[in-house]
Amino acid sequence: MKYTALVFKNLIRSKRRTFLTVLSIAVSLFIFSALVSIPTVANQILGNTASSTRIATHNKAGLAYSIPVAYKQRILAVPHVEVVVPESWFGGVYHEVYDQFPNLAADPEQVDQMWPDWGISKEQFAQFKKIRTACLVGGDTMKRFHLHIGQQIQLKGTLYPFNVTLQIVGTIGGKAPPDFLLFRRDYLEEAAGRPGIVDNIWVKVDKPGNVPQVIAAIDEGFANSSAETISESEAAFIGSFMEQYRTFFRMAEVLGFIVVLTIGLVAANTAAMSIRERRGEIAVMRSMGFPSRTILSLLLAESILIGLIGGVIGCGSAYIVLKAFSVGNMGGPLGAIRMPPVILAETLVVAALIGLFSAMVPASSAARRNIVDALRTVA
Amino acid sequence: MDEKYAIDLEHVTRIYKRDEFEVRALDDVTVQIPAGRFVAIMGPSGSGKTTMLNLIAGIDHASSGRVAVGGEEITGMKERDLAGWRARHIGLVFQFYNLIPVLTAFENVELPLLLTSLNKAERREHVETALKVVGLADRMDHYPRQLSGGQEQRVAIARAIVADPTIIVADEPTGDLDAKSAEEILGLLVDMNRQFHKTIVMVTHDPRAERYVDTVYRLDKGVLAGVEPGKRGAPAEAAAHG
Repeated sequence: MKYTALVFKNLIRSKRRTFLTVLSIAVSLFIFSALVSIPTVANQILGNTASSTRIATHNKAGLAYSIPVAYKQRILAVPHVEVVVPESWFGGVYHEVYDQFPNLAADPEQVDQMWPDWGISKEQFAQFKKIRTACLVGGDTMKRFHLHIGQQIQLKGTLYPFNVTLQIVGTIGGKAPPDFLLFRRDYLEEAAGRPGIVDNIWVKVDKPGNVPQVIAAIDEGFANSSAETISESEAAFIGSFMEQYRTFFRMAEVLGFIVVLTIGLVAANTAAMSIRERRGEIAVMRSMGFPSRTILSLLLAESILIGLIGGVIGCGSAYIVLKAFSVGNMGGPLGAIRMPPVILAETLVVAALIGLFSAMVPASSAARRNIVDALRTVA
Repeated sequence: MDEKYAIDLEHVTRIYKRDEFEVRALDDVTVQIPAGRFVAIMGPSGSGKTTMLNLIAGIDHASSGRVAVGGEEITGMKERDLAGWRARHIGLVFQFYNLIPVLTAFENVELPLLLTSLNKAERREHVETALKVVGLADRMDHYPRQLSGGQEQRVAIARAIVADPTIIVADEPTGDLDAKSAEEILGLLVDMNRQFHKTIVMVTHDPRAERYVDTVYRLDKGVLAGVEPGKRGAPAEAAAHG
């Protein structure tokens, strides 16, 4: 504690340099924390939503291909299957292109049994079953667009050549993705001219242990048909859905690390400059009896503090910005991107590491330098 | 090594390597300085004065020979132990003051005390006393840039004495000062020596310094060329010539 004043005074020795260093670290960590939040959010969605008894069945050719809705009845006949809900991705936008959030249509009858972890109240579910244009909306989307129950909204079709007008009858919470919108597939089916196809069929089995057996039975049942299926657990399905964004995620992560590395080098240069200017003072302190270890600790503490201040400003701003704008359009159909607390913590660790490693080499070399040689530079 | 000597150098040689050349900065120098004396090391540039001072201050190592200061032999000490030893025994005064520019006079003087176990109140008391001794009690909150050269050197002297070291080592303490300030600083060093019985070793080019010291050690080309009494009147120290 007795060295706090010394560290602080050295920190503000060159206010402009410290300010610019803090600012550059803050900007880089703003970018880093925002970019790294994207894949983390995707993984969190996976972790939060996946159930061990739900199976997704879709066309073996890929998610872009449909399967006949008639498969529902055959799947229901497979032993251990309890609930079957066909579902189609509508992919509509609200008002403008950037007003996106995930929106799907599902058969309404058994939604509550398929997703009991979505926190839909009995009353709201009854309304959902009763009104053909009803929809359930995630809390984040409600908040983002200032929606309320009873309100009518229109989603513009992007995959379908028509719009749908929906009435909000309830909110989705619990473990559901917070931006989700779910409406009735019979409405979509009618508007689309009853094509009799769906994107995938959700299946709920009685016990997690029976999942592999049911998956095998479903896929064998539709083998050699015109629309062969591939069934997978919910975790695997969401994972493969996320897979299409994997390159984007990787790029985001790589970009984040490149930014941090670049700023780390800039910070190292600044630290080296700052320490080089103080070689004489360091030598004087050592001649007074300050051990090399103490000098090294003081220099590193100073640099770590600069990193941490930059980190707090950078990731704090990113957190606030992402939260304030609830940037749903950034995540597109994935939904809003928010910074998980773990990223806040990780960013602060990265900030401290930038401080530590940027000063490590010049600080240890200054702390170990021959005192007489260093004093000569002062004279 | 004899404990009655504050400083005891025996056959000390210091060789520096400059690229492929060897420079013999000190060559077989033997000097004993009794405790409580104020001595000057004088000689032309390159005579080895500062090298000798650095060896006494424990910030340089002898290539051969033995160095004992304050009754402790420091020749073979490791850097970590030497740092602790310097903190206890040595107070350094430099030609260019070498105060930390971002710290006030008070904080500069407090620096050596950060290495002690004194608490904040005790440190404050010591610093105030030291600054009072050098006549700068009213400049505690001034930064070095707000002080004159003479005042800066006074702060440096306060910093050197604040931890009550055995020996004060001064390297050209008047070298950067005008005549009046130089006289004041030399007078202050005499006060330190007389009032607080500090052993003071000073490297200087300043001929005025002879009037203030007990003994003058003259070095030339790395060897001890002579030991003379200072004009202050003290007898010459018994010194073996290397």
